[in-house]
Amino acid sequence: MDCCEFREKYSDFADGQLDEEAELRARRHLSLCAPCRRFDAAFRTGVRALRDLPSVEVSRTFGERLKSQLRHELIVRALAVDPLSGAIAAMLVLVTVGLVTWDLAELHATRHTAAAVAVNPMPPVAIRLPPPVQVRIDTTQIFGDVSNAFDPVLLVADTSPAPEPDAPRFDIPAVWGGR
Amino acid sequence: MSERDVTLVAHASLRATRPTPASAFADLDDSHVVQAFLDGQSRAFDELVTRYQARLLNFIYRTIGDRERAEDLVQEVFIRIYRHLHRFDQTKKFSTWAYTIASNLAKNELRNRSRNPLVLFQAIKKHWEADHRPLQFEDSSSRPDDMYHKRHLRSLVEQSVEQLPEHHRVVFVLRELEGKTYEEIAEITGCNLGTVKSRLNRARNSFAAIIAPHLD
Repeated sequence: MDCCEFREKYSDFADGQLDEEAELRARRHLSLCAPCRRFDAAFRTGVRALRDLPSVEVSRTFGERLKSQLRHELIVRALAVDPLSGAIAAMLVLVTVGLVTWDLAELHATRHTAAAVAVNPMPPVAIRLPPPVQVRIDTTQIFGDVSNAFDPVLLVADTSPAPEPDAPRFDIPAVWGGR
Repeated sequence: MSERDVTLVAHASLRATRPTPASAFADLDDSHVVQAFLDGQSRAFDELVTRYQARLLNFIYRTIGDRERAEDLVQEVFIRIYRHLHRFDQTKKFSTWAYTIASNLAKNELRNRSRNPLVLFQAIKKHWEADHRPLQFEDSSSRPDDMYHKRHLRSLVEQSVEQLPEHHRVVFVLRELEGKTYEEIAEITGCNLGTVKSRLNRARNSFAAIIAPHLD
C-alpha cells in the first residue's frame, strides 16, 4: 500500500472497517511511512481534543423564549384552521395583552410620579399680585356734605390696606350719570 | 355507591383533567413521547425539548461556530418540529428527523454567511477575543504550559473544523461529535451512503492535514 491508497482508505481504516487483508497492508504501510504516521496521529489527537471540548448549554431564557414562540405558533395555527375562531382567539389574546400592558403602564406612571414628587417636591412659587386698587365713592353727590356722619361705605374702604404710592386711583361717582 | 367508590371516581376524574407532568415521559422512548404529544398531551413536547436542546445546540454550534446564533436556530428547530410533528413518519427515528431539520438550518446559515461579510467579521472578532482571555485554572494540578497547550489544541481543532467546506463539515461533526452511523448521516443529509463515505474521508483527510503541521 502506498501513501495515496492509505489516504483514500483512511476513513475505513480509522473506523476499523477494512477487511483483514487491507487492514494488515495499511498497518504495514504505517510502520514504514513517517508522514502517514504523523497524519494518523494528528487525526486521532485532533478528534480526541474535539470530543473533549466543553459542551455548550442553552441559556436560562431559552425555555421561556421557546414557549413564547410556541404560543404565537398556536395562534397562527388557530387562524389557519378556523379563521373566525382564530380571529376571536387572537383578538382576545391581543385585548388581554393590551389591558395588561395598559395596566402596567398606568401603574408605572403612578409610581413614577409619586417617586418624582417624593424625590423632588415642588419648589415654592413666588406669586406677584397686582397692586391693590383704591376705590373711593363720592358720597357727596348723594348725601351732600355729611363728613361728620357715619359712612359705612367709606368705613369699609378705609379698612383696606394702604395703597402703594404708584397705585392707580379711580374716582367713581356713586351714581352713574351717563353722557 | 359507597364513600370509597365516590373517592375513587373523583380521583379518576381529576387524573383525566389534570395535565400529565413532563417528568412522566422521562422513561418513555422518543417514539412514545411523540405519540403522547400527538394524542394531545402537550407536556410531552417539553420532554422532547429537554432531551434534544443541548444535543442540537452543540451540533449546530460546532457546525456554524456562533453560540448565540446556534441557540436561535435550535429554537427554530423546535418550532418546526412542533409545526410538522403530525406529518412525521413514525417508522423513522425521531432523532434523525430532528437532526435533519437542524442540519438544513445550519447549512442555510452557512450559505447566508458566505454572502454577508459582516457576519464573518463578527465570527473572527469573537475568536480574537477568545484568544486574548487569561488562562483559566481548569485543573489546579496542570502546569501552565500544559494548560496553554490544551487551550491551543482546542482552539486549533475548532478552527480546523471551521475551515472544512460546509458539506464536509456537517458530515464530519455528525460522525465525530454526534457519533451517528453512516446510514443515519445519509438520511440526515439526504445523500447516498457512497457520498457520505467519500465526504467523510475527505473531511478527515483535510482535518488531519490542517492540524498535523501545528502538532510537530
